[in-house]
Amino acid sequence: MITALRIIGALVLLAVIGAGLLFWSAGKEVRIPPASVDFAALTTDQHDRLIERGEWVARASDCAACHSDPDGGSDLSGGLPMVTPMGSIYGTNITPSREYGIGDWSPDDLYRAVAVGVAPGGRNLYPAMPYTSYHRITREDSDALWLWLMQQEPVDKPNRKNDMVFPFNIRPAISFWNALFRPEPAPFDAQGRPNAQGEYLVDVLGHCGECHTPRNAAYALTPDHLAGNVIEGAYAPDLRADALVSRGWNHSDLNSFLHRGLSPQGVMTFRMFPVLSHSTSHLPQQDLDAIASYLMPDQPVTDLAARRPSAALSSRGQDLYTGLCAGCHGDDGQGQPHSSVRLDVNTTAMFDDPINLVRVIAEGIPERDLAHGERMQAMPAFADMLSDADMASLVSYLRQRWGGQSDDVSAEQVQDALARAH
Amino acid sequence: MAERISFSAVINGQKVGPMDLPHDLMMVELLQEYLNLTGTRLSCGQGVCSACTIIVDDAEKGSYTVPACVTGVAWLNGKSVRTIEGIAGRDEQGGPVPSPIQRAFLEHFSFQCSYCTPGFVNGATVLVERLQRQPIASDQVEAAILEALDRHICRCTGYVRYYQAVRDVILSTPGLTTDGPQFDMVARQEVTQ
Repeated sequence: MITALRIIGALVLLAVIGAGLLFWSAGKEVRIPPASVDFAALTTDQHDRLIERGEWVARASDCAACHSDPDGGSDLSGGLPMVTPMGSIYGTNITPSREYGIGDWSPDDLYRAVAVGVAPGGRNLYPAMPYTSYHRITREDSDALWLWLMQQEPVDKPNRKNDMVFPFNIRPAISFWNALFRPEPAPFDAQGRPNAQGEYLVDVLGHCGECHTPRNAAYALTPDHLAGNVIEGAYAPDLRADALVSRGWNHSDLNSFLHRGLSPQGVMTFRMFPVLSHSTSHLPQQDLDAIASYLMPDQPVTDLAARRPSAALSSRGQDLYTGLCAGCHGDDGQGQPHSSVRLDVNTTAMFDDPINLVRVIAEGIPERDLAHGERMQAMPAFADMLSDADMASLVSYLRQRWGGQSDDVSAEQVQDALARAH
Repeated sequence: MAERISFSAVINGQKVGPMDLPHDLMMVELLQEYLNLTGTRLSCGQGVCSACTIIVDDAEKGSYTVPACVTGVAWLNGKSVRTIEGIAGRDEQGGPVPSPIQRAFLEHFSFQCSYCTPGFVNGATVLVERLQRQPIASDQVEAAILEALDRHICRCTGYVRYYQAVRDVILSTPGLTTDGPQFDMVARQEVTQ
């Protein structure tokens, strides 16, 4: 008995020492690169060019995706919720308001927040701030972003308190997570990297992996980079080259998807719609080409023809499709320009997880102005008209007719998808 | 793919079918081209303007609307449907008696060209029927009308007189609001006829 107690005591002591070491190692000052410019010595021309670069960084990094005001105010004044399994986190005010925003931050402060995840005063940011991706931002781009942010209209709007559940509401405890999962700041070096611009846009500024990469039990990114992940109630698809090719993507369509929000393979939906409006629709064509080249290094020649049915199609599924969907999407799934998407080559029916397909049919999609003149009419919500069994028949029909998925989706899977939706 | 469908339904209380129809036929085509029920208006043809709104009566869910232009006979097969031709009642001589919603639209001069009116009548009728099942407080009526009729597009008169007419019907009909006129069995029967 005494021996057992001694062993337990020793283990507890070791755990306390280990935790202390972890906390100390994460809490110690991280060395950061020095400022890239002397802001006081900038000529007007240099200043203007830096502002222009800063705006590009803000767009490419999609700051507004999390920091915009959901009530229609500034794109930077915060309040947008991010729903995580640990609770909701609200985007903060990053306007130069001195009282509520980042008006008092120095360029070093911004770099430390973006690349290290630590705000002035040593306050840990939640990893919802994607510093695990931004840790490779260049100091030049962080400085340009700082200058651009400081030029924006200050909005005196207080931050909303996060609704995190215990123990995740203890900010200092994030130091443990940081010790285990936070990479050191490592400014991106384009030298010798093929598709460097695309890699920088996808993996660093665009932080695509934050949604598209699976997470582990500690909610940290796994090494399965861009392998697809269900997050915030929707499936963020597999973006690895083989998966993109198998779903019928090519450079031109990927470019169109990011530029206008639409391609034959689908339309920007769920949390990708704000990504379009705040970020990718503003990027120049060469950036979109770079993204496509990085994601799909070997320019594939993809046959966009619809797949052949992968199973015998049910007459119930066909009745539901013809009765409720074909009026807009066409009996052959060809859709209509600027109003309803093609379904015959749409990738949503191709995913293993039916969650996106179930949600779109159940909830509908609002009418949307996409970008550069592209638009889509509203997709009605059919949740009230379809039983789970009917939804299962319709979803199975779409997946089997065009998605290359041969299995039947059950009513239980429909319920499960809807339960995971929010 | 099956190209034909054996279609049967109850339309305005009359049994229709079985009919041998193209499987991909849209309901507005059936009504206009096969049944000579031309009151349902085809306008946008893509389920956006609500001019072609018809009513489906479901024994469990109650009544709800669908756009006839993009809703196929494959969905409506076996169902009970009302179109604008089935909304008015009949007097003892068999002459038409406008429903409360139709009468209110006439009294309020709600429409001009009338192309959108059948859709508005059906949309408002379903709203009234929903309120019979689930009355709301009178201060919520305007929001409920907006929510129910917002999708209906009118290009002549604007929407104010449609909304005023529907609001008058709801606020003056017993049983539709929780704090409105007292429940009155006779008036309730008039509404449901």
